[in-house]
Amino acid sequence: MKIKNILIANRGEIAVRVMKTARRMGIKTTVIKTASEPAAMYLSLGDNVYDDTENVSEIPVFLDIERIIKIALDSGADSIHPGYGFLAENPYFAQKCADNKIIFIGPSPDSIYKMGNKIIARKIAMAKNIPMTVGSEGKIPTENEAIRVARRIGYPVIIKAASGGGGRGMRIVNREEDMPKMFRMASNEADKTFSDHSVFIEKYIENPKHIEFQVLGDRKGNIIHLWERECSVQRKHQKLLEEAPSLALNDDLRKEMGEVSVKIASAVGYFSAGTVEFLFDAEGAYYFMEMNTRIQVEHPVTELITGIDLIEEQIRIAEGQELRYKQKDIKLNGWAIECRINAEDVQSGFSPSPGKIEQILMPSGENIRVDTGVQAGSVIAANFDSMIAKLIIYGKDRKDALASCKQALDKVWIKGTKTTLPFFRMLIRNSRFLDGSITTSFIENELSTYHVNSEYEEMLAAWLATWLFVDENLDESNLKIDFEEAKNMSPWLLNKRIIRH
Amino acid sequence: MAKQQKKLYALMGRKKYGFNLPLTETIRIGKRKYKIILKEDNKYGTYVLWKNRRYPVEIVMSRQNKFDILFNYVCYSFTVETPFSLKRKQYLDREKGQPEEERILAPMPGKVIEVMVREGDELNRGEPLLILEAMKMQNEINCPVNGIVKSVNVAAEENVVKDDVMLEIRISQ
Amino acid sequence: MDIDGKYYRSFKKRLKMLDDQHSKERAKKQHDKGKLTAFERLDLLLDEGSFEEIDAFVVPDTLGIEFGKVEKHFGDGVIAGHGKINGRLVFIYAQDFTIMGGSLGIVHANKIAKVQEMALKMGAPIIALIDSGGARIQEGIASLSGYSTIFNNIIRSSGIIPQIAVIMGPAAGGAVYSPALMDFVFMTSYTSYMFVTGPNVVKEVLNEDVSFEELGGAEVHAKKSGVAHFIYDDEENTILGLKKFFSYLPSNNVENPPKIEDTNETPDINKKLLGIVPDDPNKAYDVKEVINNVVDRGSFLEISELFAQNLITGFARLEGKTLGIIANQPKVLAGVLDINSSVKGARFIRFCDAFNIPLLTFEDVPGFLPGIDQEHSGIIKHGAKLLYAYSEATVPKITVILRKSYGGAYIVMNSKNLGGDFNFAWPTAEIAVMGPDAAVTILYRKELAESDDPKKLKAELVKKYRERIANPYVADEKGFIDEVIDPAGTRKKLITAFKVLTNKWVESPSRKHGNIPL
Repeated sequence: MKIKNILIANRGEIAVRVMKTARRMGIKTTVIKTASEPAAMYLSLGDNVYDDTENVSEIPVFLDIERIIKIALDSGADSIHPGYGFLAENPYFAQKCADNKIIFIGPSPDSIYKMGNKIIARKIAMAKNIPMTVGSEGKIPTENEAIRVARRIGYPVIIKAASGGGGRGMRIVNREEDMPKMFRMASNEADKTFSDHSVFIEKYIENPKHIEFQVLGDRKGNIIHLWERECSVQRKHQKLLEEAPSLALNDDLRKEMGEVSVKIASAVGYFSAGTVEFLFDAEGAYYFMEMNTRIQVEHPVTELITGIDLIEEQIRIAEGQELRYKQKDIKLNGWAIECRINAEDVQSGFSPSPGKIEQILMPSGENIRVDTGVQAGSVIAANFDSMIAKLIIYGKDRKDALASCKQALDKVWIKGTKTTLPFFRMLIRNSRFLDGSITTSFIENELSTYHVNSEYEEMLAAWLATWLFVDENLDESNLKIDFEEAKNMSPWLLNKRIIRH
Repeated sequence: MAKQQKKLYALMGRKKYGFNLPLTETIRIGKRKYKIILKEDNKYGTYVLWKNRRYPVEIVMSRQNKFDILFNYVCYSFTVETPFSLKRKQYLDREKGQPEEERILAPMPGKVIEVMVREGDELNRGEPLLILEAMKMQNEINCPVNGIVKSVNVAAEENVVKDDVMLEIRISQ
Repeated sequence: MDIDGKYYRSFKKRLKMLDDQHSKERAKKQHDKGKLTAFERLDLLLDEGSFEEIDAFVVPDTLGIEFGKVEKHFGDGVIAGHGKINGRLVFIYAQDFTIMGGSLGIVHANKIAKVQEMALKMGAPIIALIDSGGARIQEGIASLSGYSTIFNNIIRSSGIIPQIAVIMGPAAGGAVYSPALMDFVFMTSYTSYMFVTGPNVVKEVLNEDVSFEELGGAEVHAKKSGVAHFIYDDEENTILGLKKFFSYLPSNNVENPPKIEDTNETPDINKKLLGIVPDDPNKAYDVKEVINNVVDRGSFLEISELFAQNLITGFARLEGKTLGIIANQPKVLAGVLDINSSVKGARFIRFCDAFNIPLLTFEDVPGFLPGIDQEHSGIIKHGAKLLYAYSEATVPKITVILRKSYGGAYIVMNSKNLGGDFNFAWPTAEIAVMGPDAAVTILYRKELAESDDPKKLKAELVKKYRERIANPYVADEKGFIDEVIDPAGTRKKLITAFKVLTNKWVESPSRKHGNIPL
């Protein structure tokens, strides 16, 4: 079934990304205009714009299943691409699409559901003998059960939300005394964030690397992997920089983990794009964590080393086509690095720095790719995510990629909000990052500042401060005072003012 | 005295940069003098031209003699002092000593929506602490100092009145 | 005269004695505490060479001493005279803490009274640099009568010449009434304080331990009591701030303020104004952004910045001419009016009215702050102060309604029938008796209770309410608003409007004075 019109149920850079491929494939796109960003960049790239600015509902449109389906039907879209976040991993949404005969560009509702619930996913992986951390069999209903299970596993353990991720509903427990409190906190947070208080417990791996594998499957049962991504540069469970491939893996391990990824995906009959996440410990052992049933933010690095357009593949798979690659066709060429430049203040713990982008000038070149949904004049609002742009660099090997990345970062020019750019400029010069030994705890535990201290630039800034002070306060020539004006008024007025007394 | 001011200092924490008056658009490094120019145009916005290179610059805050300047994406906080006010600062620091704790008080009556930090968290100035809703508006309360969270006295869904002590921070540095 | 002759020599000798009194040792005493000497402060504030001292040689009246001893010093602890600030005549006195702690004796007080009388006669502003230990105990009641004379003079000149107090040291007991009665108070942090009853007495009577700083330091008066309109970290910045502020004021209540040329060439049409007020009525924004994009660039000077932050007051310029600005601040307490902000606004308006400074009001107010605390503390009469001040003012008054304007607060903020000369509104304005949420809840209570989906129904009703009632066009059609304007063209509109109002004069009925609720 050929796809002719995709409704993009998302905004920002991923909406732009999907439309780029759709355009190339000759497919029309429909986008949704919201009241919170009526002038966003993605709106100018869609073939049709559905105006949802009058919507007064409390639920934002991108989370409103009923409304999206209605918009799809009203605008004549035959398919929906959910992007990432929002409803991308909502099995009910995928089901509703199917019920309304709209093609959901993603996996089946069933596989989304199974992999979305971490407890079910664990059970499935266990049945297939996939290497995993020791953990609870199912969900933990009470504090006492938690203590019992933790005793069996051995501290430290981590409590995780069954229905969630991204750090919410997670608590690391080091000692039994802390368990009751942590259990309660994790359950409450899980309930609040995911409307499901179920939690489970795993052994906690200290200072792991986070390595994930991209998989692609078609509806005919063919599944392949497209190598790994190294995502250990994280802060509070948010990824900041990703690479493909990873320095931590040798060819054998890579092949093995790739096969394991395919095994997990096939256990649920997976099709479309997906990511299998692993934790990698200091001894070089890997453990399956979870599977993400959507296209991910960091997909560009995989695209650059394999030369494959993942969005295009998603669309073809959704149309029912068979995968046009076999595993042996997937080559690994070169090295890619992606920097997520966000509107955040790195000197204040990466706190959001919303505002209007006044100027944005990104470097360009053969080995530089910029994915963005932002242009000069765009407003980074506090209620959407803080992403400004993804800067993706390709090199023939890691050394080459790092050198090009450093150069490219120095050329980025963004004005209007604070950005995470100084963090990347520091990271690209950091010896631990350069030798590839970073783990997920590196940023929070081992870095004291998140930018490069330049005495030089500090001095220039000091001069500027002094200059501003002088200009404002000491430079009297600035004050052009006209005293005659004070005495100059119409006799009518002067008369009245004086007579009053 | 202002007319005869010979020198000004830009202070950042314990660091001090001295500039002779009248201030010129040149800075001396070692034996050579280099030109520094503050410019603004539509393509680049405000920037400083130095040694043939453009540095993006934004004046984040300027009040009296305090300036927060975003220079090449890094924010520096300066106060500009005369030699006399510098001595005065030193005198006051000796007399008053440094405050040890910062209490975060509720600025107005409202409901706590979310608490983003926990006891023991190490924080930088400006980091968000909690969100307080009042009069249907959500206000983010940020940390005013660098320090470690000593105690968190409120939780989500709790109501506070004006001046309730919501958090206590032990000030570092 | 023979330069070497006895007349000239004794003249010079006397001058030298005065010079010697202002010695380095004396100066060091001040400097060691981080304070400047009285002369240094005058030197910083006044144009070079413009200061003319009077009564430099007066000595304390030793006959009047009741108890203790008094050192005989020239000047009796205060330096007074006149000078120029940026070319404008100003009368000034600066207390000298190094001479008997700057304490006020009868001679000291008479000198101040002299300058006050001269200022009133010449129609020139007067500035007081206060740094004094208080009444001179040795002189007994005579010092207190000295204060009475000073206070009397302040009151006689109130509203005729601008009077500014700068607290640069202690100001305790009776001494605080000078700044309290004057128009504006500047304070220097940490090295100055003001209170009626000091910590020692507080400890004695109430057994409460409190430091000078905690009881009456600059921060307390800038943030809590609102007595100080400006605070600065050090004396030099205080003086620089004062100089800047001074350029906005007229010399007396007949003249206009000096005109300062707009060197920044602020554009008349400014598209930035379109992006400040969010379409979502529950989102806050900083009204100072609106102000800064309408008035001459860089000309907005906020007054009482740390007190009652839900209402912004300050001076600004439009084409170089001074304006008084009042604006609700949605970022703080959603911009409601409460006791502190009503009083802050009322005092500011009355100053502007006394000195012929036109008023520009930016309005975005959802109402008054509800609560037992406010009601029991008298929001009724304090809110009335703001209402009274606006109505009483006969200077040109223009209001621009930016967003919310409900009920009593709509009336209070210089509405048309209260005497607004021009009342403009932005397209985002919502003018109504009550906010949409509250109104819908009351008017459709039954329907909402019976509905299957009350939330959805309410949202629809709120939308309808906004379309039909809470928008500026209804008020425009009825004449309560003069015009709904394009935000980008606000500055241009205001310049024209104020020009038209240049010669505005309204006769007030003849009476001794009104009875503003206090």
